[in-house]
Amino acid sequence: MRRLNASLIAGGVIVGGIVLMALVSFVWTPYDATLVDPASRLAQPSWEHWFGTDKFGRDVLSQIMVGSRTTLFVGVVAVGVAAVIGVPLGVLAAMVRRWPSELIMRANDLLLAFPALLLAIMFGAVFGASTLTAMVAIGIASVPSFARVIRSGALQVMRTEYVLAARAAGRQPLPIALRHVLPNVTSLITVQASVSFAIAVLAEAALSFLGYGTPPPTPSWGRMLQESQEFLFTAPRLAVFPGVAIAIAVLGFNLLGDGLRDRFDPKLEDRR
Amino acid sequence: MKTYTTRAVALVASAALLALTACSAGSSTSGGSSSGSGADQALSLGLVAEPASLDFTTTDGAAIPQALLGNVYETLVKQDDSGKIVPSLAKSWTVSPDRKVYTFDLVDNAKFTNDKPFTAADAVFSINRVKTGWTTSLKAAMDVVQDAKALSPTQLQVTLAKPSNGWLFRMTTRIGAMFSETGVAKLATEPVGTGAYKFSKWNRGDSIVLQRNDAYWGTKPFFQQITLKYFKDPTALNNALLTGTINVITTVQAPEALSQFTGNSKYQVLEGTTNGEVLLSFNNSKPVFRDIRTRQAIRQAIDHKALLDTCFAGRGKLIGSMVPPTDPWYEDLTAVAPYDVAKAKSLLQASGAAGATLRLRLPTLPYATSCGQVVKSQLEQAGLKVQIDQLEFPAAWLSTVFKNVDYDMSIIAHVEPRDLGAVFSPTYYTRYNDPELQKDLAAADAGDEAVQVDNMKKAARRLSEQAAGDWLFLLPNLIVADQNLTGLPQNAITENFDLSRLARS
Repeated sequence: MRRLNASLIAGGVIVGGIVLMALVSFVWTPYDATLVDPASRLAQPSWEHWFGTDKFGRDVLSQIMVGSRTTLFVGVVAVGVAAVIGVPLGVLAAMVRRWPSELIMRANDLLLAFPALLLAIMFGAVFGASTLTAMVAIGIASVPSFARVIRSGALQVMRTEYVLAARAAGRQPLPIALRHVLPNVTSLITVQASVSFAIAVLAEAALSFLGYGTPPPTPSWGRMLQESQEFLFTAPRLAVFPGVAIAIAVLGFNLLGDGLRDRFDPKLEDRR
Repeated sequence: MKTYTTRAVALVASAALLALTACSAGSSTSGGSSSGSGADQALSLGLVAEPASLDFTTTDGAAIPQALLGNVYETLVKQDDSGKIVPSLAKSWTVSPDRKVYTFDLVDNAKFTNDKPFTAADAVFSINRVKTGWTTSLKAAMDVVQDAKALSPTQLQVTLAKPSNGWLFRMTTRIGAMFSETGVAKLATEPVGTGAYKFSKWNRGDSIVLQRNDAYWGTKPFFQQITLKYFKDPTALNNALLTGTINVITTVQAPEALSQFTGNSKYQVLEGTTNGEVLLSFNNSKPVFRDIRTRQAIRQAIDHKALLDTCFAGRGKLIGSMVPPTDPWYEDLTAVAPYDVAKAKSLLQASGAAGATLRLRLPTLPYATSCGQVVKSQLEQAGLKVQIDQLEFPAAWLSTVFKNVDYDMSIIAHVEPRDLGAVFSPTYYTRYNDPELQKDLAAADAGDEAVQVDNMKKAARRLSEQAAGDWLFLLPNLIVADQNLTGLPQNAITENFDLSRLARS
């Protein structure tokens, strides 16, 4: 009988909750998240506004709900960009060996040397602050971690007997990569995607906080935090709600990543 | 062997990188180290918009004269606190009976910071250079000058093509700045003037450092060194004062957080008025804005009181046109376009603009970001669609909106004094072409004082009735500073922040 994977379950529940909240926000939110209502600005939490309102009189709960869309969207696209570039690079680096492999991995190291936020701020400065710029920048910054992890997995697969047999039988590299290598590193991709997702959520929040991410008035948890700074002494709840939302989302994706790693890592087989 | 070589190369590369990092860290640290908290003779001021260049002869924007005018550069005449024109580099002046010839008696002991004496020849050079060397739109104010000549080293005669009420006033602004003929080669990075302070260092993205000009011809200022530190984030600006990094917040951008300072004996809070009309500008060259009904609809769709409460904590003043209360021709014109969403909707239906999408291109300035969100929400309730784009300020906004006029609407504070005619002209970024308005302005400029006031009132009312833009509110002059600092301006009605009067009690 397998042991219960608590991280996987907790992570799954949290992430599932966020996804559900984002989906619900497409069809229902308590109020229009961008509707400015000066008459009810800075309202305390009440039955009418569960999380209160901000300085524009916008409902904070509605903003948190719509903001989850931004968070998930950025995460999906950033991880997608990272996977689409990083996975083929990792597989290629494992299969070609010698100097092309060295070239790929050193270029990878070079990119790894740039802190993700710095790279994203550079992108924002050059191409202008937008959700798209943030997504692409975070995605590119996550490429090295994907390439490195996938390369190590692919190197192990390349040493297996069925791959050696396929090569001996004269199979071309592309069919080997598609048929033998990629299916065997899928679990690694899943785990890495989950971990990168958490990083992307945090990076988007940080970028929006710094003014390089999602521009107003599109709700974003990071920008909600930024806008709440003026009110830290008078209405600290404005910082608490988006802050807690970011913390829970990052925790959820990290737990999911840990859970998936435990689930897929053969070295942890005896712990199950 | 190969491994050793590889390692050696890696080590050298790493060392080089570390050295580079160390160098850059050192330079940036040295740049910002002039906080006044440690030395009585040093002062640090926090500001919001950093200049794109130090050359206001070729670069627009209020940030350059704010830092340099009156401090590094001086003018022949200047405004006092009440807005009256008083002597500066000119000790006195006379005007001919036909109001066309101005004769200035200049001070004889002023020197530029390149050690050249200031003479009437420099004044002639500076006036002529506005016409020939300047590229900003403000240079048009000097078009009325027919001739400028030096009668002696200390006497200057300027002849106008026609009488002009505005010219002498304009000479108190940046176009009246006096330059040395040998000091204009590197204006963008090394300004040379006769002022109480001389330019020392510009750490881009961080601060401008000015040193006291010990050879100054007038009263020597109190502070030996003044650092102007720039902050993009209003909370960071507030925090900088709380932590002692700066001594003055020259313009509070987060008024909701003002309670941190009021009631705290360490700080003084000054509240006055400014020339800064926060304008929702329309690109009047776009077909959608050619119909007056669309423009009026936008004005009536905005609840200005609610907007002021929301985006500037209710501080500031509603004005309804391009004239601040400190100008002699001020009238409260807020009743011209009262808040009426139903009327706005019907006007939009009538003009055919209902449902149109307008791009609101905002500079990354705190008040613009806040007000933009309110404007978007309120215009959308009236039936327009508004797409907000944020443009980095100053470079991207100046290039896209101001120079290339690639926008539908924008929000910015126009802080230049008496700028009604300059802002609403066919060549300015508002592209507002109204011959009737130009007629009123020309009559105001040519007539006597009473005629000027009457015609300026007419012009301001016409602007408001024609809805050439929407005046969201007038920025307040909100300053927070160390309690023992004196000489801070109650009102900000000039282009510059006068540093020479600052002192510690």
